[in-house]
Amino acid sequence: MILPKFDYKKARTIEEALELYNKHDGNAFYLAGGTDLVPLIKLRLLQPKVIIDLKGIDGLKDIKKINNSLVVGPNITLFELKQNPFIKDYFPCLFESLEATSCKTLQMRGTIGGNILQNTRCLQYNKSLEWRTARGFCLKMGGKVCNVVPNSKSCFSNYCGDNAPSLMTIDAKAKLVSAKGERTVRLEKLFSEDGRSPFTIKPGEILKEIIIPLKKTKGAYEKLTVRGSIDYPLVGVAVTVKKDAAVVAVTGIGPSPHLYEIKEINEKSINEVADWAYEDARPVLNAVLTPLYRKKMVPVLIKRAFKRIGAGGGR
Amino acid sequence: MRKEITFTLNNEEVTVEVEPKWTLLYLLREVLGLTGTKEGCGYGECGACTVIIEGKAVNSCIYPVLEAEGKNITTIEGLSKNGELHVLQKAFIEKGAVQCGFCTPGMIMSAKALLDEKPNPTEDDIKEAIEGNLCRCTGYVMIIDAIKSVAAGR
Repeated sequence: MILPKFDYKKARTIEEALELYNKHDGNAFYLAGGTDLVPLIKLRLLQPKVIIDLKGIDGLKDIKKINNSLVVGPNITLFELKQNPFIKDYFPCLFESLEATSCKTLQMRGTIGGNILQNTRCLQYNKSLEWRTARGFCLKMGGKVCNVVPNSKSCFSNYCGDNAPSLMTIDAKAKLVSAKGERTVRLEKLFSEDGRSPFTIKPGEILKEIIIPLKKTKGAYEKLTVRGSIDYPLVGVAVTVKKDAAVVAVTGIGPSPHLYEIKEINEKSINEVADWAYEDARPVLNAVLTPLYRKKMVPVLIKRAFKRIGAGGGR
Repeated sequence: MRKEITFTLNNEEVTVEVEPKWTLLYLLREVLGLTGTKEGCGYGECGACTVIIEGKAVNSCIYPVLEAEGKNITTIEGLSKNGELHVLQKAFIEKGAVQCGFCTPGMIMSAKALLDEKPNPTEDDIKEAIEGNLCRCTGYVMIIDAIKSVAAGR
């Protein structure tokens, strides 16, 4: 499929990228690995005048240990991040979610920043312009109705990132930069919970760093897919255990991951969180498996993750 | 709006005018006539368009062409030397790893990137390397056998 017309600019510094964005009245998109952006442009879901390539910016591709934190540049590819010794040793949940992301070819191209900020997906949305025109535009495309749940004013598109939920369970923060300065927020605060515009990131803001507290954890990531290799999660569950407590994040259902805490891990508290997550999960018919099956798999995957962690982790 | 880029393609320096909206795949197939690289899904899911850029297997269908500036790119056409097929190409034929052949160039390029990086891969390494390449005919077993036979023969 041929891309629509746009200009391509390569930024050498963050300041240059911000300037380019402002110069094009916001009608621009930042490009990192392009594995999410380019298909969206091909489908005419995004029609930028210019794409601003961030890969030439020094400093966005570093992993540094600063004091008691691991500071990850957003342009690190998923494959590079997976191979960093800190990730496997300190954050097994993140290591497993990186492993579970797509395939090696796309892991070597896709970046952690782009993976976190990937758009939400829906069977009614990720389609060609011709298909969508015939069906009628949905809420996420600027229409007046949801094509999955008639009469609904909410968008049910699914956030299908594997790694943001893992990062959320290890208390990761995001440092964002704009012309107005820098701000640092907890990763969960990046999500708006509105599928039409799933992130709270402001127009033109650039993800500059992902900051992870460097504490050893135990963890696991469980993922429901149809195929073993390149699928997005139809349900994904990230679990990180810190001493007696645990954090659970559920992804793949709805526009943002759901986060749960367990103060003291035991069979009862795990069952309670599994039940709670089951109640919270409101999948609709917008992915390739039935909503009921996806809902039922939420507690199954949570318990499975805890079981694996209890048995020493790994597969 | 066209811009000039220079890169190394199959060991030869190429300078060509491109439009920013082109993908590398479009340049290879529609402008340079290198139709060995296939377009399957067009969204980076099937791997039929795989080429090697700077030693890594990359989906050329989602690779903006202007990123090719200064890069070293190898396509399936760059594997044979003086009319003699590359050892991987021979192995695919000998092991019956080709049926319709549409996925084959992408499979071979992913396999080459793996073997260049890791001359003695495990079966898991091979499966990992080609997990982004879909084949709807062979069932993958013969493809894995072919790649293994090249690794073993080294």
